[in-house]
Amino acid sequence: MEAFFQTYGFLLVYMCLQALLGLSTYLPLMAGQLSLASSGFYAIGGYVAAILSTQVFHTSGAYPIGYLLLETLLAGLLSGVVAVVVGIPALRLRGIYLALATIAMVEILRVVSLNLSITGGAVGIFGIAQPFSSPLGYMWLVGPLLLLVMFFAYRLEGSRIGRAFIALREDELAADAMGINPTYHKVLAFALGAMLAGVVGAISAHFLNTWNARQGTFDVSIAVLAYVLIGGSRSFAGPVLGGMVLTALPEVLRPLKDLRFIVDGLLLMLAAIYLPQGLANPNWLARRKTAPVREKT
Amino acid sequence: MDLLLQSLVNGLSIGSVYAIFALGYTLVFSILGIINFAHGAVFTLGAYFTYFLIGGQNNGTGLLAGAQLPFGLPFPVAIILGGALAGLVSVGLERVAFRPLRARGADPLLALVSSLGAGLVIVNLVQYLIGAEILSYPTNVYGHWAEQHPSLNLGTASFPIQIRTVQVIIFGVSLVILLALLYLINRTKMGKAMQAVAENPTTASLLGVSTDRVILFTFLLSGLLAGISGTLVATSFSISGPYFGLAYGLKGLAVIVLGGLGDIGGAVLGGFVLGLAEALVPGEYTAYKDAVAFLLLFLILMLRPQGLLGRRLIQKV
Amino acid sequence: MSLLEVSHMSRRFGGLVAVNDVSLSVQEGEIFGLIGPNGAGKTTLFNLITGLTSPSSGNLHYQGQDITRLPPFRIAALGLARTFQNIRLFGNLSALENIRIAHHIHTKTGVWAGVLGLPAARAEQVGVERQAWALLERVGLQGRAFERAKNLSYGDQRRLEIARALALRPKVLLLDEPAAGMNSAEKATLSGFIRQVRGEFGLTIILIEHHVPLVMGLCDRIAVLNFGQMIALGSPQKVANDPAVIEAYLGVET
Ligand SMILES: Nc1ncnc2c1ncn2[C@@H]1O[C@H](COP(=O)(O)OP(=O)(O)O)[C@@H](O)[C@H]1O
Ligand SMILES: [Mg+2]
Repeated sequence: MEAFFQTYGFLLVYMCLQALLGLSTYLPLMAGQLSLASSGFYAIGGYVAAILSTQVFHTSGAYPIGYLLLETLLAGLLSGVVAVVVGIPALRLRGIYLALATIAMVEILRVVSLNLSITGGAVGIFGIAQPFSSPLGYMWLVGPLLLLVMFFAYRLEGSRIGRAFIALREDELAADAMGINPTYHKVLAFALGAMLAGVVGAISAHFLNTWNARQGTFDVSIAVLAYVLIGGSRSFAGPVLGGMVLTALPEVLRPLKDLRFIVDGLLLMLAAIYLPQGLANPNWLARRKTAPVREKT
Repeated sequence: MDLLLQSLVNGLSIGSVYAIFALGYTLVFSILGIINFAHGAVFTLGAYFTYFLIGGQNNGTGLLAGAQLPFGLPFPVAIILGGALAGLVSVGLERVAFRPLRARGADPLLALVSSLGAGLVIVNLVQYLIGAEILSYPTNVYGHWAEQHPSLNLGTASFPIQIRTVQVIIFGVSLVILLALLYLINRTKMGKAMQAVAENPTTASLLGVSTDRVILFTFLLSGLLAGISGTLVATSFSISGPYFGLAYGLKGLAVIVLGGLGDIGGAVLGGFVLGLAEALVPGEYTAYKDAVAFLLLFLILMLRPQGLLGRRLIQKV
Repeated sequence: MSLLEVSHMSRRFGGLVAVNDVSLSVQEGEIFGLIGPNGAGKTTLFNLITGLTSPSSGNLHYQGQDITRLPPFRIAALGLARTFQNIRLFGNLSALENIRIAHHIHTKTGVWAGVLGLPAARAEQVGVERQAWALLERVGLQGRAFERAKNLSYGDQRRLEIARALALRPKVLLLDEPAAGMNSAEKATLSGFIRQVRGEFGLTIILIEHHVPLVMGLCDRIAVLNFGQMIALGSPQKVANDPAVIEAYLGVET
């Protein structure tokens, strides 16, 4: 057992971090907004932590957890503010158009971070201080965070604001006519997702020890979208499951050596085609809870 | 002033390649309403296909390290054949990644993911078989004369406008392809069938147009355009590895939205706008050149999401 | 003073004038009928009143307040609720959930209070639950509460949509062809139901309907639209005998 955690400590923490990123894309999707901006906010959060810990907070020995928590807070806040500023104009767009606008945002952030000196240009920032002595140590932080966010998402689904989100996803116009302010709730959902992605970025910067422009790219956006779509986009369990499975997959496929990325792509494609509802399909649960579905009249 | 003109001509040249690449994207979007995220991978494949067809040797460290075809075709034949092979791959993609979803009437977002998965398969297959190394086309692909004259002066001796010869050739080739394509779309039976399906698939099939054949042809054409543009870009620079097409794939998105998603004239206009805009980035900011496409994409989405040429859509209640 | 005042409202779609300089006022407590041939602009007028479409010109006043440029959610919050001609329920959600959602404007739980289940949020939730069930019962759908809206029968969907609108506790209820697709027995029931809810909820009702007997029997006043223009306005008897109406409307029907 110990050997297992030794070997797979990094992977386990990484799976949780990716599950959290999946949730950060799920939140706006709950309000019907297909955003691919998570990787951009993830990058922002990572840079906040990387810059603060290497240039502002000077420490020796193990990095104080308090500082790390402060970084995550600031990363979340900054991401939230950027989300509101970008979201108010961008969230007027629908569907694929919004997705494209968020891709543009991510790419602009990437090119800018490649060129600024504060973000370390193309090489990025290294030697980010470690608060824990082993990768598995991060589980103390990431595990509870994942549980908290899952609880948050679960409770949100049954609360007033969550209902407003879901109403917007189902039919924005009808929701509007029922007194739900579309812009406010869409920006709120977008900002909540952004804050989460920022927090995950801040933790990831420490966890990965280094941060650079390759962390927040289009590929990451799509990987995260795949977590949600393959896991299931209609309940919070979907992105968590999708994030964990898809992150573990290359590891599981390791015996395939160089072929594994090919198989990885193949599985992504097959899952999109043959698991349209995702792995976590809420209908399976819903069927049991309610009266049997009758035939349409 | 001469520098500005030089940049403008270069911008037109790269813009013409963006245009034919983006046309492939927009054709598929206009017919199916989906974005084919494997389009950048097909662009990459085209460059590799042509490289091997002219007898190039694999300098990469993949499974096929050192491999080489036993023959070398002349470049003009190779680029067309390379494009055709890319077109066939594109048709294959349609079969495996799009058709099953379409048959079920699935959410178009899933097509985004499945095409992305297909793109990943292609890119990683290239990496596995060829390797991640840079492959450069020989300097004489455009003939002996072009090799001897690597740059041309389009101005006068006192007012020089120096342009790389390969840029001029690429511009010429792209223009020919653009004209051929406009002819195909507007004057031929298949082109008209494509337009009919783009306008309204149900009506088109009632009129006896075979939607399946049109879709197949669209993917073939789209792949051909991607493959040829990949080769053209590779002759100007080099094949930077399996991820060669990724940046073009993303910029292509900016191009098609700029002109108006699904609009054929729009893709051409968007290509030139992007090419020129990038060329006009002042020297001290060249590092930010790759952001231009996305800045334009973001701005157009904020100001005029239907694109420069698109029609405004009113939602019906 | 009238409750709702439409003055000189027009809406163009390209070359088509869907609503052309329409002025009318709706009195508190009345059932106001809106009739006219297909494409006359009735639904567009509803969309103008509820803010879903912006007017090309003209003004809209509600309780003396100018609401011409307000977004739909604000107009809904002021007390105008509607149903849609082509039913727009939240189809994948249960009947009960559809009604819970419509309590949005009368509740105020924020993100954190809702997620943490603070006492105020819980109390609010209990209230919403009680009222939602009461409304379902009122329209006879309590037995179908957990059914997905899209799986309900057509008539049940129409009734659910009315219940959802009533959850907003509106002053004005706008019904766009509520009897469409119903047989005559169902239409009679609906007619009685509309009259009852007016009394119970103290409503003013604006009703679009094709079925002439239903409109004539139910409405206090009727406006007739044709090609976007209002060609008649008055009591059912007056409108039924108006030569312009007979020509435009009844002429088309026969
Ligand atoms: N969003 C829109 N865009 C274009 N034309 C519209 C739109 N909404 C309505 N129309 C047109 O306006 C006219 C009136 O439509 P409508 O108000 O739905 O009529 P009614 O409800 O009386 O049958 C019709 O010709 C219709 O096609
Ligand atoms: Mg109507």
